[in-house]
Amino acid sequence: MEIHTALSKQPAVLLACSTLSTDTNMTGTWRFVRPFHDEKTAPCGAACPAGEDIARIQMLTGRGAFRDAVETILLENPFPATCGRVCFQFCEGACNRASFDDPVGIRYVERFLGDMALAEGWARVPLKEPETPRKAAVIGAGPAGLSAAYFLGLLGWSCEVFEAAREPGGLMRWGIPAYRLSKDVLQREVARILRLGIVIKYGRTVRPQDLARIREEYDAVFVGCGLSRSIRLQIPGEDLALEGLDFLGRIRRGEVDAVSGTAAVIGGGNTAMDVARSLVRLGAEPIIVYRRRREDMPAFEHEIIMALEEGVRLMELVSPLKANRDGEDIILTLQEMRPAGVGPDGRARVAPDGERRQSLRVRSLFTALGSSAAPEWAPPAEQSQQLLRLGHITIRNGPAPLVFGGDLTNETQSVTDAVASGKMAALALDTCLEEGWERIIQSLGRARVGPGPALSMESYLGGARADRNRTVVSFEQLNMDYFQPLQRILPTIQSPEERRAGFSEIEGVYKKEEARAEATRCFNCGICNECDNCRIFCPEVAVEAGSGRRILLDYCKGCGICVVECPRNALSLEEEAS
Amino acid sequence: MRPLQVPEEEYLRRGHVGCAGCGAVIAMRFALKALGPDTVVVIPACCWGVIAGAYPQSSLDVPILHAAFATAGATASGVRAALDMRGEPDTTVMAWAGDGGTFDIGLQSLSGAVERDEDILYVCYDNEAYMNTGVQRSSSTPYGTRTTTTPREGWKRTRKKNIMETLAAHRIAYAATASIAYPEDMIRKFRKARDLKGHARFLHVFASCPTGWGVPSELTVKLARLAVRTNVFPLYEVENGVSYTLNTEGDLPVRAYLSPQGRFRHLSPEDIQDIQRMVDEDWRLLRAKAQGPPQRARLMA
Repeated sequence: MEIHTALSKQPAVLLACSTLSTDTNMTGTWRFVRPFHDEKTAPCGAACPAGEDIARIQMLTGRGAFRDAVETILLENPFPATCGRVCFQFCEGACNRASFDDPVGIRYVERFLGDMALAEGWARVPLKEPETPRKAAVIGAGPAGLSAAYFLGLLGWSCEVFEAAREPGGLMRWGIPAYRLSKDVLQREVARILRLGIVIKYGRTVRPQDLARIREEYDAVFVGCGLSRSIRLQIPGEDLALEGLDFLGRIRRGEVDAVSGTAAVIGGGNTAMDVARSLVRLGAEPIIVYRRRREDMPAFEHEIIMALEEGVRLMELVSPLKANRDGEDIILTLQEMRPAGVGPDGRARVAPDGERRQSLRVRSLFTALGSSAAPEWAPPAEQSQQLLRLGHITIRNGPAPLVFGGDLTNETQSVTDAVASGKMAALALDTCLEEGWERIIQSLGRARVGPGPALSMESYLGGARADRNRTVVSFEQLNMDYFQPLQRILPTIQSPEERRAGFSEIEGVYKKEEARAEATRCFNCGICNECDNCRIFCPEVAVEAGSGRRILLDYCKGCGICVVECPRNALSLEEEAS
Repeated sequence: MRPLQVPEEEYLRRGHVGCAGCGAVIAMRFALKALGPDTVVVIPACCWGVIAGAYPQSSLDVPILHAAFATAGATASGVRAALDMRGEPDTTVMAWAGDGGTFDIGLQSLSGAVERDEDILYVCYDNEAYMNTGVQRSSSTPYGTRTTTTPREGWKRTRKKNIMETLAAHRIAYAATASIAYPEDMIRKFRKARDLKGHARFLHVFASCPTGWGVPSELTVKLARLAVRTNVFPLYEVENGVSYTLNTEGDLPVRAYLSPQGRFRHLSPEDIQDIQRMVDEDWRLLRAKAQGPPQRARLMA
């Protein structure tokens, strides 16, 4: 009875009531593995010759942060509007999303951003100033030379570009048909490069014997004069043929209005496709004559498909023996070929199929067999301590280091590879003059994006990307629980009939919402996009948001849930030092 | 991917003594994010009786009343009555019990509270055995499981009690299953239950237990997701004991869920087939009760 009275008067006295929080318990001491934010390399960025930070570009685009996305590209590539049109999209071939539904439309997004950058006038300014002023001479205003000048410009150098023609762009101007790249877009991208203070001297042909004098006047020289010698067929009657690249240049100079009748185009590379597709637009009926099979063609599949859609015909397994004039026509005599195994280079081989021959009557004949360096511009072949061959460039040491780049040294001839060459040259030259010749390899190693040769200006300058793990994220390392299939968004594209009618650009550009939606399909492999799964699922409330995400090691017990639930493999676990 | 939308408010304190990777802690964290600060939690003996903090510490920013093992339903009813007397009828009273305190020891008091239609939310966080006392089997432990009381060849050969059907048979106003792998779905159900004032409500939350199940702690959420995707733990809601809504439909065989777990490692392919048959049978029964097809083929996280 007494107790009952006591309770009714002071019930709280007998209830033990906690007044302190558990957060004085440092449960982090339980941990034997430690999670950490460990950004890794996305396969797209590692596959991009220009080393663009594609996963991040998609993340920013998906958020509508278009200017940030553009600036991220412009740090690594001066030609987004151009590459957004003509790049062979090595990135999309490596995209992890291909293992799920379809690769992200990376090139379409790049074109959207490139066009927006031109419309808005967005540009990069120099990122550093060398201790002493540096001045470079660049031979050739093609994609490699302009890229070299651009990246040197970002590093605070001044550059003068010597160009034999009256306009900039090199192969971008004269070798790529207008339906893939309009003159206007190219001119505006070049104009943005020149805003770094770069000067182009037109009509200035540089000969090898001029190099010694140039090397006296400048701190470094970049030679990116391209491949000026066409590979020849070496058959009787070859002089009846027009060389493909010359022909494309004549079209772009406005010297060709129309071509009629059947035209044979000999070759199976991208230039052969460009020539054949241009001929269709000029009114001719082109036939591509190729000594191997379609699947052996060095041309990119997309180009072949587009050509066939436009009505280009294809003759496989025939090799020209001779060409004869017959009135207004040309008679092409062809040896029939048959597959004969695989060569040591991994390419299919063909051999003559006995005496089987055909003849083909055409009105005009074109060759597109590729080009080689003019002998006087061939990169040096000797072995020397003062010579480095680095994939996209060959560099020779001296008071003014000399770099050979672009198509002279690139294995793959593409605009994006030319950008890669220009960037590698700029980083190597900057290192050579700032730190010394012997530091080049190490310095480029620091700037590497992944296991391949692609380099990053951001990493070179010690930006956040320099700390990123070079390990490339595979599809199996992603957490697919958080993704659902989404259709790839395509921009408008002309019908084959529309394409045949003229040289206007084939592909349309994404609308803003389309660009955002397509960019949102990106898994953002390896990089933190602040989705917050690590923070949401943490049983210890030990992940903090701020700029990026921070793990509170005083409390983290090392369960690892954050690592597994990260959809994009941007975290790792490491054993705790005992 | 659309980022998960989870409220920022935090009512769980750091430094609690739950095991690394504890699913029941994640469950409480989401539950309180959904319910908000005007909540009183009643905890009978269970893992959470420990995790909530030893006197004088507390790991939650809301009031907790610790109760005897068998009394979660009764204690919550009493707290409700007291709050109503004090003029605080809007405060949510949440009983938070493990499967032992719900399926076994506290079943009578839960049944009584639901039959009286007390204005309480009763949550069972289910880790399928008596975990903090050393992994003894409960009536929630599924067929095929090894525990310390069903060891070696004596692995459990009876099925898990269907607690949702038990509650549905009470014609409870609202009962639903929820999973820590699907925070948005879970938070929606907690809020729906909170807002159904004036009635007894029941939530059955799947809370994986790396310590008791023999799985690496980083797989806690992944396993909870697999339980849903294999139909081992379907997500559904029952209103008034008769109106069933299926939230999702599994798309994977039970093997995907069983094989990562040490507690099932001894099972032969035939045993796993038996379990698949049981799961399929339960799913058919559930489908038959539901008005329409599952709302979605698959929930995105």
